[in-house]
Amino acid sequence: MENLGALAILLALCLSGYAVLASIVGKLRNKPLLVLSGERAVYTIWLLLTTASGLLLYGLLAGDFRLAYVARHSNRAMPVMYKIAAWWGGMEGSLLLWGWILSTYSAVVVWTNRRKFRDMMPYTTAILMAVQCFFLLLIAFPENPFEVLAVGKGITEVPDGNGLNPLLQYWTMAIHPPMLYLGYVGFVVPFAFAMGSLITRQPGDAWIHTTRRWTLFTWMCQSTGILLGAGWAYAVLGWGGYWGWDPVENASLLPWITATAFLHSVMMQEKKGMMKVWNMVLISSTFFLCIFGTFLTRSGIVGSVHAFAQSAIGKYFVAFLAVGIAATVYLILDRLDYLKSDAHLESVLSRESSFLFNNLILLASCFAVLWGTIFPVISEAVTGEKISVDAPFYNRVNVPIGLFLLLLTGVGPLIAWRRSSWESLKRAFRWPTIIGVAVMAVSAGLGALHFYALMSFGLCAFVMTTICMEFWKGSRAIASKTHQNLIAAMVELTHRNTRRYGGYIVHMAMVFLFLGFTGAAFNKDATHDVRVGDKFTIGRYDLKIRDLLDGDNENYSWRKAIVEVSVGGSVVDTLEPEQRVYKASRQPTSEVSIRRRLNEDLYLNFAGVTNDGKNLAIIQSYVFPLVSWIWVGFYTMLVGTIICLIPSKVKMQHMKTETVGYVKKNAPVHP
Amino acid sequence: MPLYIRRLLLALVAGLCLAQSSSDMLTPAIRRVGDRLACLCGSCKNTVASCSMLGCHYSSPARERIAKLQAEGKSDEEIVDDFIKREGKRALAVPPAEGFHLLSWVMPFVAIGIGLAAIWAFVKRNRKPVAAPAAVDEAVLNRYQAEIDKDLAKLE
Amino acid sequence: MTLGVREKDLPPPSAESPVQHLEERKAQIYENLRDLQFEYRVGKLSDEDYAKTKTELQTELAKVMSAIDQTMGATPAAAKVEAEAKPEPGTVCPHCKARFEKALKFCGECGKAMVEGAV
Repeated sequence: MENLGALAILLALCLSGYAVLASIVGKLRNKPLLVLSGERAVYTIWLLLTTASGLLLYGLLAGDFRLAYVARHSNRAMPVMYKIAAWWGGMEGSLLLWGWILSTYSAVVVWTNRRKFRDMMPYTTAILMAVQCFFLLLIAFPENPFEVLAVGKGITEVPDGNGLNPLLQYWTMAIHPPMLYLGYVGFVVPFAFAMGSLITRQPGDAWIHTTRRWTLFTWMCQSTGILLGAGWAYAVLGWGGYWGWDPVENASLLPWITATAFLHSVMMQEKKGMMKVWNMVLISSTFFLCIFGTFLTRSGIVGSVHAFAQSAIGKYFVAFLAVGIAATVYLILDRLDYLKSDAHLESVLSRESSFLFNNLILLASCFAVLWGTIFPVISEAVTGEKISVDAPFYNRVNVPIGLFLLLLTGVGPLIAWRRSSWESLKRAFRWPTIIGVAVMAVSAGLGALHFYALMSFGLCAFVMTTICMEFWKGSRAIASKTHQNLIAAMVELTHRNTRRYGGYIVHMAMVFLFLGFTGAAFNKDATHDVRVGDKFTIGRYDLKIRDLLDGDNENYSWRKAIVEVSVGGSVVDTLEPEQRVYKASRQPTSEVSIRRRLNEDLYLNFAGVTNDGKNLAIIQSYVFPLVSWIWVGFYTMLVGTIICLIPSKVKMQHMKTETVGYVKKNAPVHP
Repeated sequence: MPLYIRRLLLALVAGLCLAQSSSDMLTPAIRRVGDRLACLCGSCKNTVASCSMLGCHYSSPARERIAKLQAEGKSDEEIVDDFIKREGKRALAVPPAEGFHLLSWVMPFVAIGIGLAAIWAFVKRNRKPVAAPAAVDEAVLNRYQAEIDKDLAKLE
Repeated sequence: MTLGVREKDLPPPSAESPVQHLEERKAQIYENLRDLQFEYRVGKLSDEDYAKTKTELQTELAKVMSAIDQTMGATPAAAKVEAEAKPEPGTVCPHCKARFEKALKFCGECGKAMVEGAV
């Protein structure tokens, strides 16, 4: 079985190389049959990798402990869901998942475009397959998931595996990596199309139209992946944080930021044909940051960035990145004339300039994160002295940048394309500003005396008002014309321009996220050593330990506290924080208990037992105001992005006139 | 101060018997200093005050040390300096704003500055000349005006 | 599967028009115009800005349309290939030659039956 898997991977590797050559040679020598055979290779690779993945999954589910990978990341006692999740629980498996997702995407791309873009597709295929080839190289040689345990010349088997890292045995963690990968890998597609159109000098922006949905879908997966990771950290790690600014997290944030910048700036190219070079740069950086992120995330060696050069696959990645970046830079510089745009900026006060600022601020925060991540290395190289760049650095630098971005979220959409006048802006911003200031005053009055928090609350109110006003004004205009009620008009409005109004909903999601982040300024925490019957207080909650229990099952042993929560004398809830020690890995984990409410979360962690002889339970208690809004923001973002993905209702009827109009020019076409 | 001393004694006793205790050491004063110091326990990016790993081999003793120095009447600055002396500059949670390390703070904002300059240059170069549309445009426009109007009427 | 590629497996000649990108541009400008109209209606633009931007967009549109006409005039061969593509039955009116996106029973333009024999 392991031989079949390894063979499938080797075959896929050869075929991916073949696909690159066949596509390019077929195109250059004008041999459509060769190009077609390259496309067929793409489907075959998908079949082969699906087989390999299936075999690995079978090994994990059946508990084939001859396989080193299975022995390291699975065990008999694990529930089926986590046995499946073990596919991406380790490096080899997750690289295989990467490769499989890429092969799926490639097959879909090649299939949906099999009759389109005959000029560009061979190059697009070649680029997809070149990336595929690189990952297959890693899977086939240094990180083969089908390696068997061997002693001397014989294959051996261990009785039971180590099991998946218990910290990863949590439902969001089971789907967080595939989500992130769907996002990471997805950006290969727009990148391949961008490069394809650059190489063949396609007229127009076909690559953007074709990949718009890919990009959005990918962005959605990436956001989901990041936020699921945050949700996992919050619910599992036991310290109540959702973001720790460690290099791995930063690496997943970087391509997300550039992708967000790309999603905005691409509108300028679509609407006006501007910023062509810049968009090429953005999509390329996003792609390379994704590769960089995969490498950091999945190398499993990160604790610090310094470690990466020592890993075996580090060298492969560095080589791939160097060659890829050099080729892309060369290509862009070589085709600058093709990317030249003839559009102009009509006015400084226009949507265009607001997009410029949006891009600037997004990239500035991207740079700040990157800079913070690599600064310790630079500093050590220059001064020879180790320094720390910890969470406070990122917070101090990124909070003002983030607040400015929030401001732009409110201001940008209200400025018209091409030109706007101060007069109309003053009118548009009167109410949002009044409401923003009012909210600031009220929050200050309620005792939220924290400069950034106040700013953030004010800005959240400001942006929220602008968005609501957009919906209100638009649906009123429609209602007055079609005599629908406001709700129906609002649906109609959104359906007419899903992209814009879906975008507003995503902006709304950002407001919710910021609201959630801001709550962190008012966190409270306390730690107590307790026995049954003890009472303590945090925030407005009175907590009483009703019971302390312990027990044991085949996978782990556990201890838990039953805590009664009362507010103002009446019992409102019972929380049961638990601590587990997994048998396979002897690692303790926390099953925190959270009372989630929109205004604040009460968060209890059973941190351990004192070993001073008294065996008191250590309970860490936290109050996190507003943190739930982060998850509200997450769902809102999903809804908004999905709305963006739905095609708008009003099809431009005139445009068909010409496309089919060769028979009779300008004939009217009716729906 | 007696409260601190009591806490300190407790902590010492706990430390002597290799206790893993809740170390309820996070008084506001300790938090104030601890927030300026990095937790050096390995991969965590927290400060001494915000690391919540139980029995963390760096932040727990560090908090006890802060308490001890505070009990001796040391000022915040002196305590931080003491940590720097023991661990080097990496004991600080953020790079110190001096010498080469100043770059870490300045660069993000320099980047924004460069970006602003780039935007300014871009706007300047791409600002449309105020010249009126050429007469040829007029002619072309007229030729297609009827069709455009017809299509526009269908738009909404 | 990969190597056994035969002549008959080739996809049919693509139906891409030589003015595809111009058509897209045109659709985009119409979209912009529609947007502009809507924004004006909800009061986001002053009369003056609206008039200016509208004229600009219309000028651009006219340019694109003339470019389409020129390209189509210059490449009659391409146009002919397109013309040979048989339209779906019921999409072209046999009486007034109007074209429709979907197959219809009666012509939306002249009202006569689209398919012979339809009552």
